[in-house]
Amino acid sequence: MTDNQSTASVIQVGGRPPLWRNAAVLKWAIQFAALVAVLGVFWFLIVEARTNLAAKGIPVGYDWLDDPANFQLAEGIQTVDSPERRLTMSRALWVGMVNTLRMAGLGILFATIIGVIVGVSRLSKNYVARRFSSVYVETLRNVPVLVQIILWLAILGSLGKLTADSGPIPGWLIISQKGISLPRIFLADGFYQFASMMLLLSVGIRYVNRSLRRRQEREGGEHRVGSKTFALVVVAVVVSWFANPVMAFLGPVFSALSDGWGAIPQGVMQTLLSLIAVLSAALWIKRFLDSRRTPAGLAKLIDDDWFRMIFSGVAALLGVFVVVRGWPGLSSWMVNSGSDLWGVLADKFGGGRGSLPFDAMKPTLSEGRFVNYGDTGLTLSVFYAALFLGLVFYTSSFIAEIVRGGILAVPSGQSEAAAALGLTRSQALRKVVLPQAFRVIMPPLGNQYLNITKNTSLGIAVGFSEIVQVGQTVYNKNSQTLAVFSIYMIFYLACSLTISSVVNTVNRRLAIVER
Amino acid sequence: MSESTMTAATPAPVEHGRSGVRWVRENLFSSVSNTLQTIVFSAILLGLMRWILGQIFSEEADWSSVATNLRLLMSYNYPIDQFIRVWVAATIVFLMVGLSLGAWKVDPGFSVRRFGSTTLSTGAFLLLVRVLSPEATPQRIALAMVVAGIALLVLGSLVMRAVPRERDRRLGFTAVLNSVVALILAVLWLVPFGDYGVVDGERYAVDGVTVASSTKVPWTLVLILMVAFQVVGRALGPSVGATVRRLIVLFWVVGPAFIIFLVLRDPAFDWDHVWSTDVPMAAAFALGGGGLLYLLSRPGRDELARVIGAVLLAFALFNWVAAFFGWYPMLQKARFSFLLIAFAVLLVPTFAGERAARLRFAGAWFGLMVLMHWLITGINTESTLVIAAPPFLGGLVLTVGIAYYVMLVSFPLGVLLSLARTSKMPIFRVMSTTYIEVIRGVPLITVLFFFSIMLPLFLPRGMGISDLAAVFAGYTVFSAAYMAENIRGGLQSIRQGQYEAADALGLSTVQRTTLIVLPQALRVSIPNLVGQAIATFKETSLIAIVGGFDLLRIANSTIPNQPDFLGQKRPGLLFISLVYFVIAFTMSKSSQRLEAKLQAGQAR
Amino acid sequence: MSIADQALTDDLASRRDMIVCRGVKKWFGDFQALRGVDVTVKDREVMVVLGPSGSGKSTLIRCINRLEVHQEGDIIVDGIELTNDTRNIETIRSEVGMVFQQFNLFPHLTVLDNITLAPIWVRKKAKADAEQMAMQLLERVGIPEQASKFPGQLSGGQQQRVAIARSLAMEPKIMLFDEPTSALDPEMIAEVLDVMKDLARGGMTMMVVTHEMGFAREVADRLVFMESGDVVEVGTPEHFFTNPREERTKLFLSQIL
Repeated sequence: MTDNQSTASVIQVGGRPPLWRNAAVLKWAIQFAALVAVLGVFWFLIVEARTNLAAKGIPVGYDWLDDPANFQLAEGIQTVDSPERRLTMSRALWVGMVNTLRMAGLGILFATIIGVIVGVSRLSKNYVARRFSSVYVETLRNVPVLVQIILWLAILGSLGKLTADSGPIPGWLIISQKGISLPRIFLADGFYQFASMMLLLSVGIRYVNRSLRRRQEREGGEHRVGSKTFALVVVAVVVSWFANPVMAFLGPVFSALSDGWGAIPQGVMQTLLSLIAVLSAALWIKRFLDSRRTPAGLAKLIDDDWFRMIFSGVAALLGVFVVVRGWPGLSSWMVNSGSDLWGVLADKFGGGRGSLPFDAMKPTLSEGRFVNYGDTGLTLSVFYAALFLGLVFYTSSFIAEIVRGGILAVPSGQSEAAAALGLTRSQALRKVVLPQAFRVIMPPLGNQYLNITKNTSLGIAVGFSEIVQVGQTVYNKNSQTLAVFSIYMIFYLACSLTISSVVNTVNRRLAIVER
Repeated sequence: MSESTMTAATPAPVEHGRSGVRWVRENLFSSVSNTLQTIVFSAILLGLMRWILGQIFSEEADWSSVATNLRLLMSYNYPIDQFIRVWVAATIVFLMVGLSLGAWKVDPGFSVRRFGSTTLSTGAFLLLVRVLSPEATPQRIALAMVVAGIALLVLGSLVMRAVPRERDRRLGFTAVLNSVVALILAVLWLVPFGDYGVVDGERYAVDGVTVASSTKVPWTLVLILMVAFQVVGRALGPSVGATVRRLIVLFWVVGPAFIIFLVLRDPAFDWDHVWSTDVPMAAAFALGGGGLLYLLSRPGRDELARVIGAVLLAFALFNWVAAFFGWYPMLQKARFSFLLIAFAVLLVPTFAGERAARLRFAGAWFGLMVLMHWLITGINTESTLVIAAPPFLGGLVLTVGIAYYVMLVSFPLGVLLSLARTSKMPIFRVMSTTYIEVIRGVPLITVLFFFSIMLPLFLPRGMGISDLAAVFAGYTVFSAAYMAENIRGGLQSIRQGQYEAADALGLSTVQRTTLIVLPQALRVSIPNLVGQAIATFKETSLIAIVGGFDLLRIANSTIPNQPDFLGQKRPGLLFISLVYFVIAFTMSKSSQRLEAKLQAGQAR
Repeated sequence: MSIADQALTDDLASRRDMIVCRGVKKWFGDFQALRGVDVTVKDREVMVVLGPSGSGKSTLIRCINRLEVHQEGDIIVDGIELTNDTRNIETIRSEVGMVFQQFNLFPHLTVLDNITLAPIWVRKKAKADAEQMAMQLLERVGIPEQASKFPGQLSGGQQQRVAIARSLAMEPKIMLFDEPTSALDPEMIAEVLDVMKDLARGGMTMMVVTHEMGFAREVADRLVFMESGDVVEVGTPEHFFTNPREERTKLFLSQIL
C-alpha cells in the first residue's frame, strides 16, 4: 500500500451532488415530468374537445339536465312525460339508474342462491349432483354472457302470444312473448311511516336485547335471548302495521328542511367546502409530522417527506380552486339534490297517505300487453327477463366455483380438530369450517357482485332501459357525450365503492368472528 | 347444505358387473339425502336436456341457415375469388402452431383408461340424447346418434377391457394430436354433411354428399402441414433450440399483423413511392439508429448516451406537439421511429457490453425498424380487395384477431402499470392506481362507446381513426387495467430479498426489473393471465354492440335478415355459443394443466 | 492493553480507511435504529459486529451499501461518500459485495447464471469470460459440479456458498456478511465459515455480522459490540474475550458463551 498515512484528508466529504446525479431529485423530477406530461395530454385533449364541440355548436356543461327528455322509456319508475310529472333528462337518467340497481340487486340475490347451491353440489357425494353441477359451471362460464343474453331474448321471443288465458297458471303466472309476469308484494303508501316507526322501535329492542345478553353473560344459564328478542320484533311489526299513521307528523318537518336547505347562502357553502379541503390537508400534514416525531424531537425529514407534504398542500389548493372556480355547476347540484332529497321525503310522509305498508297484486293485462308498474303484478319484460336470466346463470357459474374453492380451501385438519374437541358435525360446520370458508369466499364474491352490476350495461344490446342505454338515448338527442360519460363514470364508481365497502365490512366482521 | 356434501370431489371410475351395482348404491342411494339428490338432480337434468334438444331440433329452427352461412361466420365478406389468401393465412398459422408444439415440449398426459371411460360415457350420452330428442328430429340424425352411440360404447368398453387399471399408460401428445387430425379428416371426407353455400348471391343446397372440395381439400393440406411441421419442430428443438424458439416467439408477436395487413388485406403498393420514400426512410432509421446504438453502447459512454437520449426524446416529443398544432409535416412512422430510437438510446447503459452484445443490440434495432416500416407502409396503403360490405375483417377471424392483439398490446401496458402501482414513487403510484381503479370500476361497454364516440372528438381536426381501431384502443385500455392487477399479484409474491440482492450486486433499476423481478413475477401470473385471455376472448362479443361484424353480430342480425332465413336467430346463436364454448373450454382446460404443472414446479 | 494488541493497533492505524462511519443515525418511523455510530474499517481488516438482536448491526451494514438510507452522519467507502449521488451509489455497490442471511439467490436462474449475471450486465464482461471466472469461483467455494442446477435444488450451505461466489464475481474490495450462517442447519455452518476464513486469509476487507464466536475469535482483527443502536465497545478478540471493559459487553458475552 503506497498510501499508508491516515487517508481522511483525501475524502471529499460534504458538498451536494450535482442535480442530475442526485437520486432524490431525479426520482421526483421524473415523477413530476410524468405528471406534467399526463396532465398536459389531458389539458390538450380537453381543449381539443371544447373547440370541436364549439365548432359543432354544442354547449359544454350540465345545464341540459333540466331539459325535457322528449323520448319515452321502455320501462322504469317513470316512462313518459306527463303534465303532473315532467320527464326531464336528469329524471330519465335517474330512471335508468334505478333500473340498473334493480337489475343488479335481484341478479346478485338470485345468482348467489343458485351459485351456492351449485357450488355445494359440486362437492356432493352424489354422482348425478356432482356431474350436473360441473357441466352447469363449465357450460355457462365458457359462453360469453352477451351471447347468452341474446340467446335468451331469441328464445323468449319465440314463446307464445300474450292472451288472457296464456301462461302455465293463467292469471297468476304468465310466460309469453311479452315477458314473464307473476303476483307481487309491493311497498304501499304507508310504507315510509311504517319503516320509520320500525326504526324507532328497533332502537328500543336493541337496548332490551343487549341488557338481556349482558344478564346472560353475567349469570350464565339459559335466558332465551333469541326467542325473547324475536317476540319483541313481532310485537313491534304488528304495532307499526296498525299504528303507523302516527308518523305522518314527519312530513311537515321534512318540507321545512327542504325549504331551509335552499335558503343557505352560497357563500357560506363555498367557504365551508374550501375550509374542509384546507383543514383536511393541514390535518394530514400534522398527522404526518406526528408520525415522524421521535422521543428525541422531530426526526430529520428527508427530501421525500418534504415532497409529500408539498403534494398534499397542492392537492388541497387545487380543491379550493375547483370549489371557487367551478362553483356554478357544483352549487346547483349540491343545493338542488339536497333540497330534492328532503322534498321527496316530505312527499312520502305527506298527508293523505294510506296506512297499509304493503300490498299485493296479480298481473293485469290490457290490450294484449302487461300493465307496466303501478298496482299490478311483478312483470319482467322480455328485455328484462333476457338480461336477468343471462346475468344470473352466467354469474352463478362463477359464484359456484368461488364457493367450491372456498370450502376446499379449509384444511381437512380443521374439521378433524373440531371433531376431536367433541363438536357435532353441524357445529363443526357452523363454527369452524364455514367462517373460514367465508373469509376466502367474500373478496372474489364481492368482485362477482361488481361484475353483475357492470354487466347490467349489456342491457343496451337487448333494449333494456338501464343507465347506459338511457344515456345513449340522451346523447343521441343532444350530443352531450362528454357530460353523459362523466355521469356514467360517477354512477358506476359509486356502485363499485358501495359494494366493495360492504364486502370489506362483512369480511372484517367475519375476521373478528374467526379470531 | 347437508353435511354429507362436505367431501372432496374425486370422480369415481365407472366399473362393471357386480362392482357397478355397488357403485350405484354407494354413489346414488347411500342415504336418504343422497337418494333425494339423485331424484331431484336427475329430474332437472332430464328436463333441461329435453328442453335444450327441443330448442335445437325444433320445427322452426332451420339449421341450413348456419350451414349456408359458414363462410360468412368464419371470415365475413371476404371476396371468394381472393379466398386463396385466407387459405394461405390459415396455412401459415397452423404451420406455426405445429412448429411451436414441436419446439416446446408439450407434456403427455392422456391416460388410455381415461380415454376409454370418456368414450364410454359419450356413447351413453348420445343414446340418452336420442331418447330425449323431440319428434321433429330428422330421421338421419336420429339414426346417426344411435349408430355413433353404440359404436362409442363398444369402443370404450373394448379399451377398458383391454387396458386394465394396473396396465394403464399415458399417450404421447403427438399421438393424440395425430389421431385427432386423422379423425377430423375422416369425418370431413366421409360424413355426408351436405353441400350448402352461396354462389354469386344464389343459394344452393345439395343434401347427402360430403362438404365441398373447396373446403375439404385445403383443410386436409393445412392439417397435414401442421402435423408435418410439428415433426420438424421436434427435430429442430434440441439442436438449434433457443434461436428457433426466439424466432417462433417473434412470429407470434408480429406474424398475425403481417397476415392480416399484408396477406389478407393485400395492400396495393405504389412502388414509385415505396422506392423513393419508404425504403430510404426505413434504411436511414435502421442503419443510422443501429450505428448510433452500436457506438453509444460501448461501456463507459453511459452519460453521453443519457444526454443524447434525453435530447432525442425531447425532439421526438416535440414532433408530436408540432403535429397536433400542424407546424410542420412529417410522416407518422417517422415520428414513431424517432420516439423509439430515443427510448432505445436511453436504454443503452442497460445493454452496453462487449462487441458481440453490442452487435446483437444494434441488429435487433435494425430488424425492428425493417419490420415496423414494412408493416406501417402496408397498413397505410389502400387495399386491392373489392369487398361487398366495407369491413374486410369479420366473423371468427375478427373475434380471435381482436382478442389476440388486445392481449398482446395490453401486456406491456399492464406490466408498466403494475410496476408503477407497486413502485415507491408516490406520484406514479397515484396515477397508476387512479387509472386502474377507474377503468375497473366502469363497464367495458362504456369504455368502448367512449372510444368509438369520443375519440374522434378529442383528435385534432384532420386526424381520423377508423371505427375498428377506436374499438381496439378501447379494448386495450380496458384490458391493460385488468392485466396490471393480475401482474401485480405476481409482483407482490416476490420477496424483498430479491430486490436487495439485485441492488447489492449493482444492477440498475431497469436491469433489476427486467432480469430479476419480472421473469419471476410473470411466471407466477401465468394462470391469471390465461384466465384474462379467456375473459378477453369472451368480451370480444361486445364488438357487436359497437358496430363490428363479429360472430355474434352475424348470427344475431346478418343471417336473420337474409331473405332465405328471415328471423332465424336461434340456430346461429346456438352455433356460435358452441364455437365460443369449444375455444374457451380448451383454453381453460389447458390453463388448469399449466397451473398444476407450475405448482409442481414450485414444490420442487 | 497487551503488547500484541498494541502491535495490531499500530499496524491497523497505518493502513488505509476502507469504511468510515461518522455519527451515523437512522430512524424507522419513531424507532431510532442507529444513534450516532462511529466505526472505521481498515484495508484488509476483518471486523466482526456483535450484539443482541435489534441492536442495529444489520442496519449498519445495510447502510454501508445503501440498502437502507442513513439520515444523519457520514458514511465513506473507499474514499467515496455515500450521498444521493447516483454515480457514487453505483460505484460503491459494484465495489462492495454483500451476503445475506436468506441467501437471496435468484430462483429462476441457474447457479452459473446467478454468478455471471452481474459481471455481464454491470461490469460488461463477455459471456465466455464471465462463465470462466464463475467456474473458477465455484471451484474456490467447492461446488463446481452444481453449476447447471437451480438454487432450489441445492442445500442451504451450498446456496450460501453460491451467494458468496456471486458476490466475489464482481471482484469487490469489501465484503459485507449479514448473519450468513443464521439460516443454516448446524451441520452446514462449517462449510460456509471455511469459505469465509479462506477469504479473510486472502486479504479481503470484511465486515461480518455473526453470532459465531469461534469464527470471531479465530479470524477477526477487531470486534465491535453494539447495543440499541450504539457502539458500546471496539477491540481485538483477545481484549474482548478476556477482559471486556464495559458491563453491557460482559453481560452479553456471558449470555452467549
